[in-house]
Amino acid sequence: MSVVTAARRAKRLGTVTLVGIAMVAIIVLLTILSPIISPYDPIASNADQVLLGSSWEHWLGTDAYGRDVLSRTLEGGRFALLVSLLATSISVVVGTFVGTIAAYYEGWIDGAITRVLDALLAVPAILWLLLIVSVFGTGTWVIVVAISVVYSPAVARITRAAARPVLRSPYVVAAQSRGEMSLPILYREVIPNILDTILVEFAMRACWVILLVSTLSFLGFGVSPPTPDWGLMIQENRTALVVAPMGTLSPIIALSVLVVGLNLAADGLGKYFGVDRAMRGVA
Amino acid sequence: MPQGATRRTLLQGALAGLAAGGLTACGAPPLILPKSAVTGTPARGGTLHIARPAASAAETLDSASSLSAYEYLGAIYNRLVKLDVKGKTVPDLATEWSSNSDATQWTFTLRAGVSFHNGKPLTAADVRYTIAHILDPDTASPQAGTLSTMFGPKDVEAVDDRTVRFRLKTPNAEFPSLLTAYQCYIIPEGSAKTIGKTGIGTGPFRLESYRAAGAGAVVANEDYFDGRPVLDRIEFFSIQDTSARVNALLSSQVDLLAQTNMDNATARVVTGSRGTTVARVPNAQWYTIPMLATSKEFQDPLVRRAMKLAYDSDTLLQTAIQGTGSGGWDNPVPPNLEARLPGHRPYDPEQARALLKKAGKDGLRIPIYTSAYEPNLTPIAVAYAEQVRKAGIDLTITSVSSDSYYTAVWMKKPLMVSYWYTGRPVDQLLNQIFRSGSSYNESGLSDKRLDEVLDAARADTNEQSRRAKYQDAQQMIVDNGADMTPIFGDRIVGLSDRVVNYQEYGFEFDYVNIGLKASSS
Amino acid sequence: MIYVARRLLASVVTLFLASFFVFFAVQALPGDVAEQLLGQNATPEAVATLRAQLGLDQSVWVRYFDWLSSAVHGDLGTSLVSGESVAETLSTAFGHTLLIAIPAMIIGVTISVLLGVWAAARRGTKVDNTVSVLTLITMSIPEFVVATVLIIVFAIVIPIFPAVVLQGPSATFSDLLPALWLPIVTLVISMVAYIIRSTRSSTIDGLTTEYATAAELKGVKRRVVLFKHVLPTAMLPVLPVISINVAWLLGGVVVTETVFNYPGLGKLMIDSVSTRDLPVLQAIALLSACVYVLVNLAADLLALLLDPRQRTSRRRSSRPRPKPALEAKTSEVPT
Repeated sequence: MSVVTAARRAKRLGTVTLVGIAMVAIIVLLTILSPIISPYDPIASNADQVLLGSSWEHWLGTDAYGRDVLSRTLEGGRFALLVSLLATSISVVVGTFVGTIAAYYEGWIDGAITRVLDALLAVPAILWLLLIVSVFGTGTWVIVVAISVVYSPAVARITRAAARPVLRSPYVVAAQSRGEMSLPILYREVIPNILDTILVEFAMRACWVILLVSTLSFLGFGVSPPTPDWGLMIQENRTALVVAPMGTLSPIIALSVLVVGLNLAADGLGKYFGVDRAMRGVA
Repeated sequence: MPQGATRRTLLQGALAGLAAGGLTACGAPPLILPKSAVTGTPARGGTLHIARPAASAAETLDSASSLSAYEYLGAIYNRLVKLDVKGKTVPDLATEWSSNSDATQWTFTLRAGVSFHNGKPLTAADVRYTIAHILDPDTASPQAGTLSTMFGPKDVEAVDDRTVRFRLKTPNAEFPSLLTAYQCYIIPEGSAKTIGKTGIGTGPFRLESYRAAGAGAVVANEDYFDGRPVLDRIEFFSIQDTSARVNALLSSQVDLLAQTNMDNATARVVTGSRGTTVARVPNAQWYTIPMLATSKEFQDPLVRRAMKLAYDSDTLLQTAIQGTGSGGWDNPVPPNLEARLPGHRPYDPEQARALLKKAGKDGLRIPIYTSAYEPNLTPIAVAYAEQVRKAGIDLTITSVSSDSYYTAVWMKKPLMVSYWYTGRPVDQLLNQIFRSGSSYNESGLSDKRLDEVLDAARADTNEQSRRAKYQDAQQMIVDNGADMTPIFGDRIVGLSDRVVNYQEYGFEFDYVNIGLKASSS
Repeated sequence: MIYVARRLLASVVTLFLASFFVFFAVQALPGDVAEQLLGQNATPEAVATLRAQLGLDQSVWVRYFDWLSSAVHGDLGTSLVSGESVAETLSTAFGHTLLIAIPAMIIGVTISVLLGVWAAARRGTKVDNTVSVLTLITMSIPEFVVATVLIIVFAIVIPIFPAVVLQGPSATFSDLLPALWLPIVTLVISMVAYIIRSTRSSTIDGLTTEYATAAELKGVKRRVVLFKHVLPTAMLPVLPVISINVAWLLGGVVVTETVFNYPGLGKLMIDSVSTRDLPVLQAIALLSACVYVLVNLAADLLALLLDPRQRTSRRRSSRPRPKPALEAKTSEVPT
């Protein structure tokens, strides 16, 4: 693909999408590069430099343990981003698989899957997460698996709904009548047709996972201190908000830029693909 | 409800700065903490509001229980004897006590004319009943372990209405000090089943209402034997989340935060806000770094010795908690107790390095566990790790969630940071935390020689030579022990600037003298 | 009617399955509850005593069916920690939660439907853009930030409201009254975005139908067209979004109640997680599943009332419908 077509394509995606993607890219890039660009060790505390304001040495000041807020903010997205990427991918893959299976087999299999999905969705995500975390303790993998368990059913429900009309299209019905009624059809024919839905779903899901992970950290069930993490930083520094505001504001800003970016990207993609995101509203 | 004047101006200034971009170089001023609580003449009467973390949803007013609602106890009950600031055993409900020549029999005389809140006069039978309740295995009292080795419920005798006698199996010249524990508050005879809710004691306040992990109130006991307390009433509120507790203080909803040792940032915010300030309870937090003596890392005494020589307590005190406390130098006895061994061990990283080499452990590399369970654990871990690096010891800070810290790490991992409240009498302190096999012996070290010295000290009825023996024990712990004491920290308590005469020691608030300044508004 | 009956049956099955998942998720607990409860005081003897008291050694299946059949009769067991009846603790907490959840729900739904319709009617104008930006922001700022900022501004800097609830579970209505407002605002802010967006989108769809255009051409006032003709139909696909947000309020209260020390279901949940109070955790999860099922059922039945077409379209799915609203219903919610 030439540069020109790529540019044209990008243009068709719309300014909103591009702005969103750029915001996400900046945060992701900064997080990836943080070990190189962080001016200080984000964990090293310094007793005689606590709660400093902004200065040339510490652009965003220091926190209650004298740690550099800039370095901590730069590195503070790593856990949320990593968990979000993993958990979202797993949820989307598992959810799509289950959703398309349900759509493919109508009848009791579909009915059973739908009931199970509904039952899993009946308990709010944060409650499920707290349950799972209280049972298994916290840890990156526990949280990834927990979020996947919680979000896969939601994805499954969406993909099931998206796949059903595709499976009833004359094209697929024809394939079925030729006796090719098997899983290959499902994936060869259906997946490309619902890819738009899946992509939008991915962007939205990623954004919720980020918020969810930060909430968990804030509640004290996410990463453990002294690991830098936005949710945890907000939790740790909020009491000192009036004395050293940057310790709390920096992670809030970083988190918001990322989430706004993901939302814009999801909106833009939705518009581009004609998937009405607002109507699927919360889903 | 928000009451009183506002901190508006000050914080609005801060908020304006924040609005202006927050990027200006307006560093917070260095934190200067008041040395001690405000003293003065309080106004008579008034209501004090205390916010506290509940022990658990199962907390109880039964002091013998492991889940007692600690803040209430000193207000509503009395012990036979209590500790003063210097660690000396002084009268409470018992006015005098004495032992036979070999310290196997102790006789306490009760104060005359003391009544419980329900009007019933205090007698020796109540004391006997209380002790039996503490020893009852069903109570599962944390103090039962210490007491039951010395006597059983049958060995407590009510000689007459005002005389109680304890017959001990082994001599113990420090016995009275063991009854100062905060599990030993005296309750009326026959009340074991109900005391958890009724809270009927002899203390300066009567219970008005109480709900486990909820709110409660006590009102002044007009007939208190030591004079009516200054306050009319104290209200207690349970707030589990530390930030929420601090917010309650900042918004003037409460006057005092109990069991909340504030970190530097919080202390700064509280001192900087109008209407609130902090008080220090000197050396109230006893920080320890137990080395698990049963672990392969620390079974070698040479390694344990090296871990100590490699750090300087006074420097650690500065880096970890900005000097708000005292250096421990691995002696567990708090500096304010007269029994503490004077002087301290050397700091010698070179020798530490040599010892490690000798033990074949040079370049020792293990995790040190910490948690947000208490705000200073992590700074202590970090400061300690930083110092011992000079001796070639490489510690990785590993933080664990507060929920599982005391179940998954404590007494299980080789190296961690922990803490206790000070306020134990020296005999209990040494026996409970350092004697072989004690359930609180957090390093798991068995040192028969130490046990013998402790036994000898108990049997010694001469105060001078007994103290010398306790000091020998301290020396043994400094030299060979596995439980390091890096520092004692002052507890930084947040309170309203209307509060005067706040004092807390020996697991008890001074509820009689605490009061509120005459309201100027 | 058959549809209603089937819908009811499905709800019961969903609830049953949810109870199953909840119970077995919780039973997988690896730690020793007795040890957890005793914490630093967990001497082996004390642990043994407590384990015996709790009867933790029965078979899991026995305990599940015991639990479920008692739950159906309103008996949710006793708390492992406080020893009090879970049903009682839960109903007090739930009552407190409803005190903030119901006003939040009413205010939130009203505001967001109005804003959504307004933005749709003024599509492409400053109003629309402002609303879009606002929804984007409220979608992107986590609840705990909203709650924290509200406390600092309205309880500490300008002390109009109390920062936290002091009284705990025994709080009376008059204790709670001044403390309700900040949590309500937090909940409203956290729920409006998605309802505004779907209302806006759906209303725009309605406004562009031939019917609406025709009515407007005939000189019917735009406002009348909007509220009399467009809105009722447009609300149909918004209903599931609303119902999901309402059901989700139960999740949203977790953070809000923690920050405000508000003695409701969310705080009970957090406290029970730290003390591993299993019966309470199970009961909360079960209760929230009930709320979810009930709210969804209500939304579906309401949709049925609003649009009788649903009954037939459900069976003859080949017939084109304006929107596959209820089928492709939204799944759940961000937290």
